[in-house]
Amino acid sequence: MARQPDAKTTPKFSSDDSALIRELALLLDETSLTEIEIERAGLRLRVARNISIAAGIPANVPLTAAAPVAAAAATAAAATADLSKHPGVVPSPMVGTAYWAPEPGAKPFIDVGAKVSAGQTLLIIEAMKTMNQIPSPRAGTVTQILVEDGQPVEFGEPLVIIE
Amino acid sequence: MFDKILIANRGEIALRILRACKELGISTVAVHSTADADAMHVRLADESVCIGPPPSKDSYLNVPALLAACEITGAEAVHPGYGFLSENARFAEILADHNLQFIGPKAEHIRLMGDKIEAKKTARKLGIPVVPGSDGAVEPGDDAMAIAKAIGFPVLVKAAAGGGGRGMKVAQTQADLALALTTAANEARSAFGDASVYLEKYLAKPRHIEIQVLGDGRGGAIHLGERDCSLQRRHQKVWEEGPSPALDAAARAKIGLTVAKAMQQLKYLGVGTVEFLFEDGEFYFIEMNTRIQVEHPVTEMITDIDLVLEQIRIAAGGDLPMTQDEVQIIGHSIECRVNAENPLSFRPSPGKILQYHPPGGLGVRIDSAVYQGYVIPPFYDSLVGKLIVHGKTRGECLMRLRRALDEMVVDGIETTLPLFRALVREPAIIDGDYHIHWLEQYLSGQQGN
Repeated sequence: MARQPDAKTTPKFSSDDSALIRELALLLDETSLTEIEIERAGLRLRVARNISIAAGIPANVPLTAAAPVAAAAATAAAATADLSKHPGVVPSPMVGTAYWAPEPGAKPFIDVGAKVSAGQTLLIIEAMKTMNQIPSPRAGTVTQILVEDGQPVEFGEPLVIIE
Repeated sequence: MFDKILIANRGEIALRILRACKELGISTVAVHSTADADAMHVRLADESVCIGPPPSKDSYLNVPALLAACEITGAEAVHPGYGFLSENARFAEILADHNLQFIGPKAEHIRLMGDKIEAKKTARKLGIPVVPGSDGAVEPGDDAMAIAKAIGFPVLVKAAAGGGGRGMKVAQTQADLALALTTAANEARSAFGDASVYLEKYLAKPRHIEIQVLGDGRGGAIHLGERDCSLQRRHQKVWEEGPSPALDAAARAKIGLTVAKAMQQLKYLGVGTVEFLFEDGEFYFIEMNTRIQVEHPVTEMITDIDLVLEQIRIAAGGDLPMTQDEVQIIGHSIECRVNAENPLSFRPSPGKILQYHPPGGLGVRIDSAVYQGYVIPPFYDSLVGKLIVHGKTRGECLMRLRRALDEMVVDGIETTLPLFRALVREPAIIDGDYHIHWLEQYLSGQQGN
């Protein structure tokens, strides 16, 4: 996945920041993490859930409970790395910008759950004003769409999972 | 000044460019093949884009992928490094068509100097001394023998579209000429797509001396002294040093001035190197390289000018860093190109570097992108890194180089370090008494033992 540049603006507490904090808090709930900390140029945010440890928990509770949390904290990088090895992955054959639909406002080529045949167009990747239709390498069902509409993609980047 | 530069190269030069960008506060985009995902410059860059699978033609030479990478990252300029697309005039033009700045010379000069016959004609017109030879290509209908006799045997048959030491065949006597012509033409056709050849006098024991130039594109140009790159194996430079042990200040000033004036007339933009063969006090132009060269650190060490940084500044419209009078050559510098090759057979040795310890200390510089645990991919050149040392005198430089070579550790792969450890102790090298055939003669002598 093409790494994104650090934000250059000096941080002031803004509505963007509170929206970000809200998002992080939601993420905490969704993933059952207890703490998330992010850092960008000049800005560091930490969102933590208050944990009260009940007195009844025996001292020899194995710390393996922490392991899934730590593993989940590896987030996007590891997840994408795993998906690039997924047997159903369709990697990008080129560099460009991925679009879900043939043109703005049109219906996307595929949805999650859609059945596709080999050669059927999944996405468009645009580079230098040229639209390139990306065909499915096999017949199957779309189980995951891994790129946002209008997301820049690099060679080999996982686009879609077809199983 | 640029906000963001895309580095269209790999390995040590990509890291070199990245360093200059960082020092100028410019954002960096590293493009890489899948084989280079763990490269040092990719790790250090602000952004990275994977542009293709390992083969160069699908990645580092893939112009559409490079353009797309500029598009999605918003890079405004491309630094092509050396090799790959650095001397591809068409690439420079395509970038211009897309409002992207090519950090290098004007496309017309890349094209001019890329054709070795045209380059020689231009050099002659600009007053640069050239090797006696055929006046242009030797056409099938020409009396090649008459031309060769006029030059005087032995003669060298050279590909017009060649360069960098490739596409050359020697005809020692008249009897060898016909075969040399056909072989050279056939090789040229398959390697460069152009069978045109020309003839030059073959010099017996010349030195390879090249002059570094820097031009602002508006008629201002300076020379930054010479590098002696006579130690070559199969026309590939192995050890370079500056100043040349064979030149004195007067000779340097004279050839430097001639070259600088020529670059001023051309209105040359950016860095370039004018290469000569030097024999019996005479200079003979062979070619001009319109790019930053592998051995540029030698000049940087003796002039204290950051050539890559100047490339970027000048491409952004800046002025030359100083006048010719302000250029000073201080001390002596030697560069050793350490390759991942067996030091005797030169068989490539890609693989994982298990132990890596670069030398350090005063006057020691390493331009390398490797690190402990790095795997040298088999798809590209075998350069591990360049060891460059500087000293106040050539003697001090040699002692420092010996010390640095002995400290340097690269284990897990074979490297040519043992060759350099031997060369730095070799009397002819210590005396500076060598020429362009010396190294190959030395190596075949070694194999005889």
